[in-house]
Amino acid sequence: RRQQRMTISLELRKAKKDEQVLKRRNINDVSPEPASEKPTKGVSLSLDEIIKGMNSSDPVVCFQATQAARKMLSRERNPPLNSFVEAGLIPRLVEFLKSSLHPYLQFEAAWALTNIASGTPEQTQAVVEAGAILPLIDLLSSPHMTVCEQAVWALGNIAGDGPKLRDIVISSNAIPHLLTLVSSTIPITFLRNITWTLSNLCRNKNPYPCKEAVRQMLPVLSYLLRHHDSEILSDTCWALSYLTDGCNERIGQVVNTGVLPRLVDLMTSSELNVLTPSLRTMGNVVTGTDYQTQLAISAGLLSVLPQLLKHPKTSIQKEAAWTLSNIAAGPHQHIQQLIAFNMLPPLVDLLKNGEFKVQKEAVWTVANFATGATVDQLFVLVHSGVLGPLLPLLSAPDVRTVLIILDVLSYILQTAEKLGEKESLCLLIEELGGIDRIEALQLHENRQISQAALNIIEKHFGEVSDFQEERCPSLLVACLCS
Amino acid sequence: MELSDANLQTLTEYLKKTLDPDPAIRRPAEKFLESVEGNQNYPLLLLTLLEKSQDNVIKVCASVTFKNYIKRNWRIVEDEPNKICEADRVAIKANIVHLMLSSPEQIQKQLSDAISIIGREDFPQKWPDLLTEMVNRFQSGDFHVINGVLRTAHSLFKRYRHEFKSNELWTEIKLVLDAFALPLTNLFKATIELCSTHANDASALRVLFSSLILISKLFYSLNFQDLPEFFEDNMETWMNHFHTLLTLDNKLLQTDDEEEAGLLELLKSQICDNAALYAQKYDEEFQRYLPRFVTAIWNLLVTTGQEVKYDLLVSNAIQFLASVCERPHYKNLFEDQNTLTSICEKVIVPNMEFRAADEEAFEDNSEEYIRRDLEGSDIDTRRRAACDLVRGLCKFFEGPVTGIFSGYVNSMLQEYAKNPSVNWKHKDAAIYLVTSLASKAQTQKHGITQANELVNLTEFFVNHILPDLKSANVNEFPVLKADGIKYIMIFRNQVPKEHLLVSVPLLINHLQAESIVVHTYAAHALERLFTMRGPNNATLFTAAEIAPFVEILLTNLFKALTLPGSSENEYIMKAIMRSFSLLQEAIIPYIPTLITQLTQKLLAVSKNPSKPHFNHYMFEAICLSIRITCKANPAAVVNFEEALFLVFTEILQNDVQEFIPYVFQVMSLLLETHKNDIPSSYMALFPHLLQPVLWERTGNIPALVRLLQAFLERGSSTIASAAADRIPGLLGVFQKLIASKANDHQGFYLLNSIIEHMPPESVDQYRKQIFLLLFQRLQNSKTTKFIKSFLVFINLYCIKYGALALQEIFDGIQPKMFGMVLEKIIIPEIQKVSGNVEKKICAVGITKLLTECPPMMDTEYTKLWTPLLQSLIGLFELPEDDTIPDEEHFIDIEDTPGYQTAFSQLAFAGKKEHDPVGQLVNNPKIHLAQSLHKLSTACPGRVPSMVSTSLNAEALQYLQGYLQAASVTLL
Repeated sequence: RRQQRMTISLELRKAKKDEQVLKRRNINDVSPEPASEKPTKGVSLSLDEIIKGMNSSDPVVCFQATQAARKMLSRERNPPLNSFVEAGLIPRLVEFLKSSLHPYLQFEAAWALTNIASGTPEQTQAVVEAGAILPLIDLLSSPHMTVCEQAVWALGNIAGDGPKLRDIVISSNAIPHLLTLVSSTIPITFLRNITWTLSNLCRNKNPYPCKEAVRQMLPVLSYLLRHHDSEILSDTCWALSYLTDGCNERIGQVVNTGVLPRLVDLMTSSELNVLTPSLRTMGNVVTGTDYQTQLAISAGLLSVLPQLLKHPKTSIQKEAAWTLSNIAAGPHQHIQQLIAFNMLPPLVDLLKNGEFKVQKEAVWTVANFATGATVDQLFVLVHSGVLGPLLPLLSAPDVRTVLIILDVLSYILQTAEKLGEKESLCLLIEELGGIDRIEALQLHENRQISQAALNIIEKHFGEVSDFQEERCPSLLVACLCS
Repeated sequence: MELSDANLQTLTEYLKKTLDPDPAIRRPAEKFLESVEGNQNYPLLLLTLLEKSQDNVIKVCASVTFKNYIKRNWRIVEDEPNKICEADRVAIKANIVHLMLSSPEQIQKQLSDAISIIGREDFPQKWPDLLTEMVNRFQSGDFHVINGVLRTAHSLFKRYRHEFKSNELWTEIKLVLDAFALPLTNLFKATIELCSTHANDASALRVLFSSLILISKLFYSLNFQDLPEFFEDNMETWMNHFHTLLTLDNKLLQTDDEEEAGLLELLKSQICDNAALYAQKYDEEFQRYLPRFVTAIWNLLVTTGQEVKYDLLVSNAIQFLASVCERPHYKNLFEDQNTLTSICEKVIVPNMEFRAADEEAFEDNSEEYIRRDLEGSDIDTRRRAACDLVRGLCKFFEGPVTGIFSGYVNSMLQEYAKNPSVNWKHKDAAIYLVTSLASKAQTQKHGITQANELVNLTEFFVNHILPDLKSANVNEFPVLKADGIKYIMIFRNQVPKEHLLVSVPLLINHLQAESIVVHTYAAHALERLFTMRGPNNATLFTAAEIAPFVEILLTNLFKALTLPGSSENEYIMKAIMRSFSLLQEAIIPYIPTLITQLTQKLLAVSKNPSKPHFNHYMFEAICLSIRITCKANPAAVVNFEEALFLVFTEILQNDVQEFIPYVFQVMSLLLETHKNDIPSSYMALFPHLLQPVLWERTGNIPALVRLLQAFLERGSSTIASAAADRIPGLLGVFQKLIASKANDHQGFYLLNSIIEHMPPESVDQYRKQIFLLLFQRLQNSKTTKFIKSFLVFINLYCIKYGALALQEIFDGIQPKMFGMVLEKIIIPEIQKVSGNVEKKICAVGITKLLTECPPMMDTEYTKLWTPLLQSLIGLFELPEDDTIPDEEHFIDIEDTPGYQTAFSQLAFAGKKEHDPVGQLVNNPKIHLAQSLHKLSTACPGRVPSMVSTSLNAEALQYLQGYLQAASVTLL
């Protein structure tokens, strides 16, 4: 009866555009140099010269070649990532990471590796196979902040590749080192990088990051959630959204840190990049247990949801409606709260005027609401005018939506029958042009749909309705046939 | 079976024989083929024949046989043997596409069907190269081959339009998209290019356009579930071409046929569907193309003619506009006054016109016309689409649209007034326009329920509808007459009652019109008016108000049944029934003629019953005549029997299956009307009613049970004295019914009547047997419905024969049985009993068990006494338990008789609710209190202690309430 949906892992659509980036290349031209200034000459070497230079035993030559390499890899268009992989330069770059006597070289190497790791899964894999992870983690303790920062970034790209590499980073004990870097004194750009890398460590399922890692990161994430910088907030919220996108136990871990009120707060943010992931996180939370959902409601979720249902961006409307649908799938006490917070008018409006993908979520909401509602709540639902926009959607080109609506109708009609209200409901449905649509569905090629439509017509819209007033049921017909 | 010439020869011979008109030759050949089809190579032999046989007939025959063979055998059903050997499967899949593509069209179609059937099972996993094989043919350049591939692809992919999203389905679609989307797009582009190269070659164009239609259909299927990445990336290409094709016209492709849609129409229609799909589902991505499509489709509508062949295209196109114009963010595309005016003028008005084809239908195919016009089965018509567009536009632009149309209505009415006989169609369009503009919501029962307030409906009625209906000549301008009557019908809730009353005699007058549509509408309008409810839920029109017209009304109604084409007109018969029902005693003076006419009609139609509704209303009218007359004068029942029995006998003798259930119901009504003993004429029928053959038909059962109940009620002593030998037959019927999950309740009706009415001694010897049968059924299949009936029965039995008798009969079957029934059935299930009378029976029965059954007081059953009392109080006070166990939900589907045999219950033959304990007990709660009091006086001290020790507090409180109300105390 409750419909808390699992998304199908397969997509026909283009990947979503507004989601958080997995990997980033550092293409900053005015690169921050290590603390003690060392002049960089405008060297521009060819790939062969770079290979030669990097293999030199002279650290200065190595540095120059590596810097040239980094610059080549940082150029805006067509950085030759693959040429570097094929030239077998990665092991050498990894070696440079370890030369603690030459922080400039470490920095350039880390940067070059960051950019290679930002490439295809194969390129990231090559960086890992060359053994970059451990030296990068060591660099997190480097006294030079820029080196440190670049290492954070490189690790972020590796972790962002997917669950496998992410777990290698985690099992190499990167998290404690990353967490100690977080302080209020470091520059904002550095903190942004750390937050982003943490979010990648929270990201991806199958499998999820281990619970211990999550336990370690959560206090810091909860601290970061208090920050004022919108990029930091955005990445923190994304991190939390990944952590809550799973079973109830995972959701519980996040909920228990007490972040829900702050997340609700962030849902009113004017920054789309904060609003989107905070809404997503809260949406995930209400797929959890009734208790977890209650916590979300207590945190004030329902007072911010109506304005999101009316948000100008369709994707926000859709997420908000999805969230609503999962609250509606709860016990009738939750449904009562939906009514109390006046969710029905914006819901009806979405059914009427929303884009189709929003309408679909709204239909789910109505279905969950209807099946979980008490009789009184169902009455409120019908009187909110939900049938008006619901019935035209019976002609929508989406079989699941059509079937859900038929189920809702059948359920409402059954309840109305028990209350002796069926006749007026049937008239309402007919007035709204519903019968024509249901009748047409009897010929639908999907058997479940045609059968459901047929059942409704036979059970509730039979011919004899206008005889009812004259009918005197015989002795037992009334009860035993029902 | 080897792939040998000899076998090919044999097969050819047998195939030839299967075409023989003589069944003596044909059947054995078919049998033979069926007997050998399990052999290896059989399908390959068929394929060889359809490819190589010299005889064309054998080729086609082999292809059909092959297709049917695949249909029957290809699917591998779990736990059943694989009916086609693996080698054959592989060989078939390897060759069939090539064979299909190289065969002539007749055979191609069969093989294409076969491929879809195989594809449904094997594609994609077990037929991985199918896609590549198909795609490769796109390069062949041979469009006969390409169309074959496209057709096959369409039959494989069209299920994407109606199947639910699932991982399996989406994996397949993804696979198809990867292999197919790009080649299809290239083919689409190439085909369009070829169309311009061959712009002057009609036959080439026809082939190319067939391809374009199929490609457009494939586009729809592939884009249905979600917007695929590929098509999002290539939307520009597809939409630009679709747009061009919508605006394209080529003289060479225009057809002369007026009825059948041509290739151009089919293609444009499909493109409208594609655009509508995108507009509805992928609005965000499609938004920037939409305005262009709106313009193109609108232009298309303006330039498309009135011929029937364009109907689908036009209604699709209008529906597209209708769905777009009510979306808030496209409002701006329509809001310009000029745009609105031209949509109204050029799209809506022309498509509301009464066309030659409509006129033809009005005259020659009235039944279909009425069905479309009256019952709304007009979903695909132009008029309906135009109406929907009006409603869509009214969402945002009600004022301007009403204004524009008012101007049109006026000018059309003026045109009509200038020369009615030439311009009557203008008035028809005006009325239609007013109707579609005014009606916002409509139901069959009430007509229009919400109207546009900007339209003055009463004024239009008085000025433009009434005058037509008042004209002396009922046969002039029949279409306008029908329009006027329909106007009354649908706006009956908006037009004031005094105007409706004025139209009643006019409608009665139009019952005489020659036009079937006109007199049918008149009858239907009268029927609807007579059904209307006023304040207090009484009929809006009283019998007194209609009384002045009774004679002419009845005369005209029956006369209308003699008009050509209306001898079994269901609307007229329904109006007859409704008139009887409204007029009640006012029809009594006419009954002799009426019943004669009805009987004659009945006799006539019983020769060949073909109109179920007509027949149903006819029997209702007969029932009403009986009820109304006999209410005033019960003795008149004899007259009805005299008039009807002759026809009834004939119906029964000729076994007119459709009518038998009706006849039994009418007989029940007649029999129940008799106040004294059962007449002998009925008794003569009694043995016949027990014949098993009658009970074989499910449709008869309710009516027969009802009739037997009437027999038992009126004639139980006669049966006991004069037909005691029939009692086993009666119980046989009970036994048969009780065995069926669908009909067991009917068996209980019968059994309850037997228990209630038959003298106890006449059934004494059968009692134990009855209980045994019930237990047997309980053991075999215990359903909620059965339990409910069973509970009512044993309580009725307890009331009739006493509590002790019930205990004894249970324990006589098996020791301690009584306790088990109490514990396992009565106490836990009594809450499920529904219906007031049924609950009362159970309450009184249980009260008896509690207070009049000594073993309940002093044996091991005593421990059940308080739980039983508790459950009885629950029955009084708690809501009914209407839960049904999950596994029982399917019973209805399995056992419910199909539509054909469904029982047609007559409303006016209805039986009064009968309360067998009515005289005995008025208030069962008081009765319980009094009975408990009586029991407590017999054994002082025991009852209060049993009650107070184990009854729960709430129940105790209720009980004290009953005792107080009865003013008794427990001692």
